[in-house]
Amino acid sequence: MRVGLFVTCLVDLMRPSIGFAAIKLLEAAGCEVVVPETQTCCGQPGFNSGDRRTAQDLALKFFDEFDGCDYVVAPSGSCAGMIRVHYPDLFKDQIDVLARLTNLTNRTYELTDFLVTVLKLQAVPGQFTGSITYHDACAGLRELGIKQQPRELLGKVSGLSLCEMNESAKCCGFGGTFSIKLGEISTRMAENKCVNIDVSGADAVVAGDLGCLLNIEGRLRRRGDKKTRVFHVAEVLAGLID
Amino acid sequence: MHFKANASIKLKDSTLQQAMLKAKGKFVDGRAAAVQELGNFEEIREAGKSIRNRALENLDVWLLRFEQEAMARGAVVHWAQTGEEVNRIVLDIARQYGVKKVVKSKSMVSEECALNPALENAGIQVVETDLGEYILQLAHEPPSHIIAPAVHKTREEVADLFVAAHHTERKTDPTALAHEAREVLRPHFLDADMGISGANFLIAETGSTVVVSNEGNGRMVTTLPRVHVAITGVEKVVPTLEDFSTLLRLLTRSATGQPISNYVSLTTGTRSADDPEAPEHFHIILVDSGRTKLLGTELQSALRCIRCGACMNHCPVYQNVGGHAYGWVYPGPIGSVLTPVYIGLENALDLPQAATLCNECGVVCPVKIPLPDLMRVLREKQFEGGMRPWTERLSMKAWRWTALHPRAYALLSKLGAKFLQILGGREKMLHKLPGLDGWTDGRDMPAPAGETFRAAYARYKREASE
Amino acid sequence: MNSRESILARIRANLGKPSGEPNQQEIMAVLEYLNSHPSGPRPHGEWTDLTERFKARAKALGSTVDEVVSMAEVPNAIHRYLEANALPKSGICWPEFAELTWQDAGITLAVRSVENKDMIGITGTFCAIAETGTLMLLSGAATPAATSLLPETHIAILDATRICKGMEDAWNLLREEKGKVPRSVNFISGPSRTADIEQTIVIGAHGPFRVHVIVVS
Repeated sequence: MRVGLFVTCLVDLMRPSIGFAAIKLLEAAGCEVVVPETQTCCGQPGFNSGDRRTAQDLALKFFDEFDGCDYVVAPSGSCAGMIRVHYPDLFKDQIDVLARLTNLTNRTYELTDFLVTVLKLQAVPGQFTGSITYHDACAGLRELGIKQQPRELLGKVSGLSLCEMNESAKCCGFGGTFSIKLGEISTRMAENKCVNIDVSGADAVVAGDLGCLLNIEGRLRRRGDKKTRVFHVAEVLAGLID
Repeated sequence: MHFKANASIKLKDSTLQQAMLKAKGKFVDGRAAAVQELGNFEEIREAGKSIRNRALENLDVWLLRFEQEAMARGAVVHWAQTGEEVNRIVLDIARQYGVKKVVKSKSMVSEECALNPALENAGIQVVETDLGEYILQLAHEPPSHIIAPAVHKTREEVADLFVAAHHTERKTDPTALAHEAREVLRPHFLDADMGISGANFLIAETGSTVVVSNEGNGRMVTTLPRVHVAITGVEKVVPTLEDFSTLLRLLTRSATGQPISNYVSLTTGTRSADDPEAPEHFHIILVDSGRTKLLGTELQSALRCIRCGACMNHCPVYQNVGGHAYGWVYPGPIGSVLTPVYIGLENALDLPQAATLCNECGVVCPVKIPLPDLMRVLREKQFEGGMRPWTERLSMKAWRWTALHPRAYALLSKLGAKFLQILGGREKMLHKLPGLDGWTDGRDMPAPAGETFRAAYARYKREASE
Repeated sequence: MNSRESILARIRANLGKPSGEPNQQEIMAVLEYLNSHPSGPRPHGEWTDLTERFKARAKALGSTVDEVVSMAEVPNAIHRYLEANALPKSGICWPEFAELTWQDAGITLAVRSVENKDMIGITGTFCAIAETGTLMLLSGAATPAATSLLPETHIAILDATRICKGMEDAWNLLREEKGKVPRSVNFISGPSRTADIEQTIVIGAHGPFRVHVIVVS
């Protein structure tokens, strides 16, 4: 099974270990992982800022890069949602492009969804001593229905206990460029999330989207919390936690 | 209208924050429980969407049918293109019947028109009778929510307003306050000449206007005065009594978590031998005020809205800044879509941006309005019309170019990752980033690892093949 | 063009329909739909006993419910209720109940339009809805709407055979029996309430503080 890894621009720039964790998990499950070198961004920043044309151009670029794969996997519900849900919408008036594109976007998955739904993974290599709380990132949850998949996988990590925070499905305030354009509101939303994390008493907060994690970690540290650790779900599952 | 600046003030308003925190849980939990209890909410939601679409796709024919039925029962139907026209019509009716005092039940459309000041300027006394609206009339404030207008007020604030207006002993218990308002408002119902109501729905089959309420003021206003005027948007028409029943199941559960509101009243026609105590005159004003502009556009689905308020109740932005920050009549996600259309995109530039697109609104909307998609449509109009700040336009251009040129992208991200890693120091945390104050004013930015995935992966591949 | 014509013309233009009046086809489609007035999906849950469902839901929404086996028992049942709640034993009622033995039961009722001083308003019920525990009242010369609105206590007498499953069934009953809607159709589900101050529920906003239903089975 040939699986194309869509690394995502944030992981590429900020936290490569997430990409390696995804590869480790996929390869451990017997997948052949390919990483197209020319990939950049799914186009979501443009799409959400009103630049539809650039989003279309990047969708076509994605198609050229990944078309040979059996599946495409991204360690991000946000990017996978962009591809699966919004790419088809970008070409709804171009029937021929749409048909080719949806053939690929329908085979595109968020990482934990892929591991559970397609690979039906039974065991994960990760180990973790302590408790974690899981933040449901918006696009993964509300566009792709990712809720149980990461929890199911985290349940297989030896030593890990899961404690749910209040309002785990409430937006952390990241919202891409929203976090900069409306920084004050974004910060308040991040603060609310941090309070819920704090109250949960978990040793670490885990999510499936790096955008949320940067936002949450940035706020945790600013409010003086140096101890709550912040991980991408792939890092915990793969056992790549420093 | 500056959402961002307004929001900044509201975030620092501790009284507002206290009020919003209390409201949030009640609305959200109430709706969730009511939806759960119903069992087939999703099925009914799909049906509700179809009903609204059916009405909108043939809007003119349904409105004509409504008009015909309403007139056959003695109502007078007016059509108004603007808020000023609504006010003119109401004033004409008031003059015609020698109206001195008006009691009003909740009408957001009348807020669009600024009807109250227009009536008061003509020497007519206006009394808002919905408790929330009454509180705001005393406070000289507009509503901050479409179904819970005074949600931003604490009991302490209400207590102060009542002392000043009623000259009674100060009390802060909501029950005592509500009962005091009952005593004060009852005489107004009895001696008002005109009742003004909104309408949650117009039923084409019967020519009826529908008012859904809990307090009973809607019933008073439509029953007791000799003149009744109902003001509502042209999009509110639904075909049949059955269609209305389906939408009602969605409306009250989505709004307050109730299986049904205490009073659901259909009003049809005027006083007759069959009903000698009914109002003598019934005027219905069908208001456009920008609504028909949405028809046939990508934004048409916004007209499905049944004004339940669930989108704002669940919106993390609304929950933190309240309704006044949005600057006009309709707050929250639906306001971020409607306001730019009704008052002009150039007058509401921040609103389509006032969301993380988290889609909580879209998920709870009882008629499945894809609110984030509609906000994106407005963002596209802003982008295409060059209506965003030049800095944003420039950075979007730069982003486009690099994202489409992988080699340049690889080089820039390599340099950027290294540079930011160094800047992050031993702590691996960035405290200040030029141009990104919006982020770093309230948050740190975790520093990158220093080597991009792309570079690290190439190295890993090289090493593996050696 | 006046505003009516402008609005209608704009609707047609924006919907991509030819200008002018709606054509025969559009009108027929509307008439066809009105004639069939299809019912939407109803909530799941098969309530075999409509009376029990009605009672349970009415109570859940803050009404109180009593049950008697004949109309003759109604005055005594109402007396019991008024007594138990320390309420005045005088008020007004709809004409259809004028002949009941109120005096024997110790209740003084006037048959007239409501006045603000009236503390008790006794009405009948066109029908009731089991799904939500709702009363449906139609206004009319002999069934004035304000009787259920101004007094602090509203007592509704309900024939158990008139409990329908859902609102759709009530509409069909209305179409069959009356042919048209009256000036006011009032669906009443419990006492008047507000939550406008800090989302705290307060009973007795503008309408009755109490709704008491006597089911005659």
